[in-house]
Amino acid sequence: MTDLLTANFADHWVLDPVAGLAGVADVSVVAGQIVSVTWRDGEVAARACWAAGANPGPDDPTVALLPALIDLHAHFRQPGADASEDVESGTRAAAHGGYGTVALMPNTEPAADNVETLQRAIAGERHSVRLLPIAAATVGRAGTQVSDVAALVKAGAVAISDDGSPIADRVVFRAALLAAAAAGIPLIEHCEDPTLTASGEAADGLVASRLGLRPWPAAGELRAVESAIAVLRDIVVTAPTARLHLTHLSTAAALEVVRGAQGEGLPLTCDVTPHHIALTDGWIAGDRRWAWEVPVDDEFLVPTTAAFDSNLRVCPPLRTMIDAFACREALRNGTALAIGTDHAPHSREKKEVEFGLAANGIAGIETCLSVALAAHHAGELSLATIVAALTTGPALLLGITTTSVTPGAVASFVQVDLAASWRPSRATLLGRSINTPLLERELPGVVQRTVLEGHLAYQR
Amino acid sequence: MVTQAAPEEERSRRHLLDVAGLDWRSLQKLLASAGEMQQLLDAPAGGSDALRGVGVTTLFYEPSTRTRISFEAAAAALGARVTTFSVATSSVGKGESLIDTVRTLEALRNHVIVLRHERAGAPWLAARHFGGSIVNAGDGWHAHPTQALLDLSVLSRHLGDRNGSLAGRRIAIVGDLLHSRVVRSNLHTLTTAGATVVLTGPASLTTGFAEHAASFRDTPGSVQLVATIDEALSGADAVMALRIQRERLTPGELDSLEAYRAAWGLTESRLAALAPHALVLHPGPMNEGVEIDPDVADGPRSLVLEQVRAGIPMRMAVLQQVVSEARA
Repeated sequence: MTDLLTANFADHWVLDPVAGLAGVADVSVVAGQIVSVTWRDGEVAARACWAAGANPGPDDPTVALLPALIDLHAHFRQPGADASEDVESGTRAAAHGGYGTVALMPNTEPAADNVETLQRAIAGERHSVRLLPIAAATVGRAGTQVSDVAALVKAGAVAISDDGSPIADRVVFRAALLAAAAAGIPLIEHCEDPTLTASGEAADGLVASRLGLRPWPAAGELRAVESAIAVLRDIVVTAPTARLHLTHLSTAAALEVVRGAQGEGLPLTCDVTPHHIALTDGWIAGDRRWAWEVPVDDEFLVPTTAAFDSNLRVCPPLRTMIDAFACREALRNGTALAIGTDHAPHSREKKEVEFGLAANGIAGIETCLSVALAAHHAGELSLATIVAALTTGPALLLGITTTSVTPGAVASFVQVDLAASWRPSRATLLGRSINTPLLERELPGVVQRTVLEGHLAYQR
Repeated sequence: MVTQAAPEEERSRRHLLDVAGLDWRSLQKLLASAGEMQQLLDAPAGGSDALRGVGVTTLFYEPSTRTRISFEAAAAALGARVTTFSVATSSVGKGESLIDTVRTLEALRNHVIVLRHERAGAPWLAARHFGGSIVNAGDGWHAHPTQALLDLSVLSRHLGDRNGSLAGRRIAIVGDLLHSRVVRSNLHTLTTAGATVVLTGPASLTTGFAEHAASFRDTPGSVQLVATIDEALSGADAVMALRIQRERLTPGELDSLEAYRAAWGLTESRLAALAPHALVLHPGPMNEGVEIDPDVADGPRSLVLEQVRAGIPMRMAVLQQVVSEARA
């Protein structure tokens, strides 16, 4: 571990999502602690700047300081698939991506449905990244018997989930929701109706039809979301501590239903992924435009030589520019409280195969901030929205506090050059697996340093 | 539609992955080349040695009779060294990946791989890892380029104008659209040739095809999806029956083969409504008595055997083209 940091960060674009401040500031760090944050134009102006979206003007500094990011959804594959990722490589990648805290999904081998596996899942060199284990909601993630939630929470679990699969049996789902409520943690549900999505390769729609890919219907997500909400509504009266979080939502229809249920006051939250806000199913045909660059009815339908890239196989599948718009709108209007990376590293053996035979998932923890910044630069998302979705939003779900850029706090922040760009590649990515469709693409936002718990965890 | 970058087009021309994206001039060139190949076949020598020294392997992950034999005959007629790769008895059975297999075939001095695979997009993966040419001989539900090309050559010969164009012609395609790589590829070639394509089939097997049909906006021809076979046959110059792919059906997609024949089969009585010149096609293999009656398949309107015959010269044209592009 490096020594405690002492440094001055003069003239940075600083964001403090906890206090709701943004603007040009000098940040002084002594022995790993933030001793002062001096706002150039004063706190009142900083508050107004945050409220206006925290976007820097053309004459403002382009190097920003944000609180170390928090991911509510990642897979580090330990134990069971260390060839794809483990805690050491995963946290190295996380620090590179600007993350200081990562919640790990329990679909390891074996599943983290017991205290011993839960602890193994976070053991190892962590590069100062804080790891929060999520426990399997059901034994073996088999969806038939609820895990010993109380014991798992005592051992550090911050949530339960059968992520990778839904808890399809709604009686078991109800029991898991009640067990989580009793333990004071949320249930994180992967919303998919497997009777509709079995063998699906790509989102149902024009691209899948043109490419001859087996369809994964939007109804597969919508039905699961509707029934999960119906169960929540049933139990919330008698179990007021119940909390349901729907992860990696991808369809306009499902997000609309979630928004309606939130309007009823149900304890319901959700997140979206970087790939669902920024990519479309046209990428499978070889399109490389960001989702917001695609006009309506201008899908990319004639496959290029880059078509059928297995790095685009993901569950839920990539969808149209309309769904991607809905995912960004959910961040803007607060329906989604977080961007969760769903960082899903896979070895070459599992990915360099036929599209329909490839494992689902995109390694995204190192590119998430850049993808969000690409949306920001296009005027799609304000910096305040992005930073909240990557810090205070997930913190709220996980029941932790965001260590912000504020005097007295331990230095846990990321220094990112908003104007610079980089290209993900075998050489620049630090994770063990590089299954991302963004390889060799120029991305905005270069993380220069990630400071965690007062130590330098990553330096470019 | 976004145009592809020029270097990519150059790279892609050494393969035949798809007919999507081929313009009318490219199609005409292949039709003309297939015509020349037919003359070669009809000449006393019965072929040429244009591909002498070229290694052509047929790598088929799905069963096939006509496509495979047709490609092998085509390669042999051009003097190529032809190898049949038997997936069932190879290292593929031991779990060798597609990438490793094509790399091995390249090391074994194969220049062209003719690939049939049950998964959409497999030829694209192979092309990214093979130094020679990949010819797509059918990938899952997605594409069957040489079938569409030979169908075009047959239709163009019978129904085309002086330039082979099918402008003003109505081609009906009936049956299981959902699982059909034949229809997906034919939509590209036929609309590029100017035809109006009228699709029909049971609702469970035409899922997504309303939008799919409407997406052919920028082609000379157009595509419509209609609800009944009678509408599809009305005014048709040709009708193509698609095979009911029993191996690809999932429960509930089809009531019974008898019910299918009653509603969608090409029967003598249905054909009575067709114009006298109208023709009947089927990509084969046929389920006779299901999507097409034996009398129709063997009847005077049928081009079924002509389609099979057209396969060899068209595949010769394709092999010749990809090899000459690779050499260039």
